[in-house]
Amino acid sequence: MANHLRFIGRTVMVQNGNVEAAYGALNRILSHDGIIDDVKRRRYYEKPCRRRQRLAYEACRRVYNAEMARKLAFVSRKNRQDPWLGC
Amino acid sequence: MPRDGRRHLSSQRPSCLAVTWPPPPPPPPRTARATEGRRGRAMSAALAVARQRLLGAARGGYNAALRHGIQTGVQRLQDLTEKVAAKETESQSLTDLGPLILQRNSMRWDGKTYEEIPIAHIKATYNNTHIQVVSFDNMPFARTSCGTEGFQNAKKGTAIAAQTAGIAAAVKARGKGVFHVRVMVKGLGPGRKAAIKGLTMGGLEVISITDNTPVPHNGCRPRKARRM
Repeated sequence: MANHLRFIGRTVMVQNGNVEAAYGALNRILSHDGIIDDVKRRRYYEKPCRRRQRLAYEACRRVYNAEMARKLAFVSRKNRQDPWLGC
Repeated sequence: MPRDGRRHLSSQRPSCLAVTWPPPPPPPPRTARATEGRRGRAMSAALAVARQRLLGAARGGYNAALRHGIQTGVQRLQDLTEKVAAKETESQSLTDLGPLILQRNSMRWDGKTYEEIPIAHIKATYNNTHIQVVSFDNMPFARTSCGTEGFQNAKKGTAIAAQTAGIAAAVKARGKGVFHVRVMVKGLGPGRKAAIKGLTMGGLEVISITDNTPVPHNGCRPRKARRM
């Protein structure tokens, strides 16, 4: 951050004196960009073998969660054509 | 001729309704304490098996997924448009902050521009929290930490200690004529949020919060992982 202009990146202005909301917004932005996870992970060194395992696990988890969400969205559909129309 | 609607529907049942889909996720990787040795090899074997199952199931369900994909394609388009509409409303609330940053040049606090307002640096480590209030040209106003407030050892690394330090720093800065302050937070410690709250409770008005946590682009190697 020393090479960039200060108070432009990772900055949230406080609106109407609501410091809690501003801090929450900042936290949400940082976690959404993955900075908080990155800082936590860099506290201790992560060996390359651990890192490969973690990336593989996260990829599998992402696929699983996407498929499960798709399944749930399919199963919980409400607006569809009446299959027994006319009978 | 009986209606074969029922037979027709069951043959079209998509594979994703089957009980075996999606296959259970692989177990998370073990932490440093238990991964070495025999258990490590068994864990990696289980992970490989899970991955093969995932790939095999994906290949088998491809044809059914094709038919199913055409059916849900229209629905996905609808979902996409809904999500885009929701994101637009979300981004509207976020971009309200955007123009606020751009309008910052025209906003004044006690007649001062944003660049002239003092800065409160908060360094929130895991064991302590330091707060220093500085003017825009780095002239110091107040410096407190959990240690200067009388806390010792483990008690310094708490939110209450950080809040006390924040109140003390705010009172000292107020005595030197500081009313508005822009906060720069460094580190992810327990006192990160509590110190800002302490500054507000002590009477300073926070106008912006910046995160200055140092993120190396793979610079120095951190210490080795703890085995507890």
